[in-house]
Amino acid sequence: MLKNSVVKTNSLPTVLGATSIIGPTTDENKRKITSEMMLTSLIDAFSILMVFLLFNFSSAGDLLSVGKDMQLPKASGAELERNPVVKFDNGKYFIEATEVTPDGLVQALLDLRKQYQETRPGEEFPGILTVQADRRVKFEQLSSIVQASAHAGYGEIKFAVVMN
Amino acid sequence: MATKKNKDLDFTIDLIPVISLMSVCICFLLLTAVWVRIGSVNVKQAVGGQPASETAKKPTVWVNINGNGDTTFDVRDARIPARLAKLSVKGVEGKPDHAKIKTLIQDLRATEPNLATALIQPEAQAVYENIIDLMDLFKAQGVIDLGVSPL
Repeated sequence: MLKNSVVKTNSLPTVLGATSIIGPTTDENKRKITSEMMLTSLIDAFSILMVFLLFNFSSAGDLLSVGKDMQLPKASGAELERNPVVKFDNGKYFIEATEVTPDGLVQALLDLRKQYQETRPGEEFPGILTVQADRRVKFEQLSSIVQASAHAGYGEIKFAVVMN
Repeated sequence: MATKKNKDLDFTIDLIPVISLMSVCICFLLLTAVWVRIGSVNVKQAVGGQPASETAKKPTVWVNINGNGDTTFDVRDARIPARLAKLSVKGVEGKPDHAKIKTLIQDLRATEPNLATALIQPEAQAVYENIIDLMDLFKAQGVIDLGVSPL
């Protein structure tokens, strides 16, 4: 509409307009506003990140959920496998995230064993239990877990540790 | 003289799909990465109905640990000198003395190479971390069959 207006044809190039990069009015500063991205360095960074994450990849995922206040003891242990988990946290006992009383530990473990035998009729019951507790806990609080597991027929206990 | 036209051997690689693929891979790996490696220290306990008299006797070291990290070693069913049969190691700052215990276990294994079983009897106030450290020391020296006795 203003293509052939009087204002447009009669406007003189100002000093500011002549030096402007965004809306140049003269041919001198007319240039494209494009920037080139250095993709090579971006791909280098991505490659290093991928290699690092591949080393930390685990198909089993996190087998235990460790709360922020819980510190597991450190040891050079074997790789942890998926087994029923008994956790002692803040004075409470949990079997697979379900809270149980100290007196109810044996029954809960027996129920777990029965459930295993019902879902896997042909298989031998492995009798392995994982115990997760804070490193600062006294043994008197874990003794009931050790005792209950023996009563319930769990012959092997795996104490969860942070690997050295 | 007509000049030969050289074929243009350069070609461009489109990096945008590579970046897209890498971004997807990185997102997936970030979700599946495990940052803290959790292992386990394995102990066994007797649950069977077999009488103790029928169980084969193996050299076993019975270890008692208290709340101060003091440990007492009692080796049974093994051919070892009397000086090594019953020993005590005082704790250091509430923790077991790792260096002395390691040396002691090495001496016991050197004297009785068949010693591969240890039974730990923690007292009520023994700290869980100290018990794990003790088990770790045993495992490192080749005493692989560990047991923990309840109170």
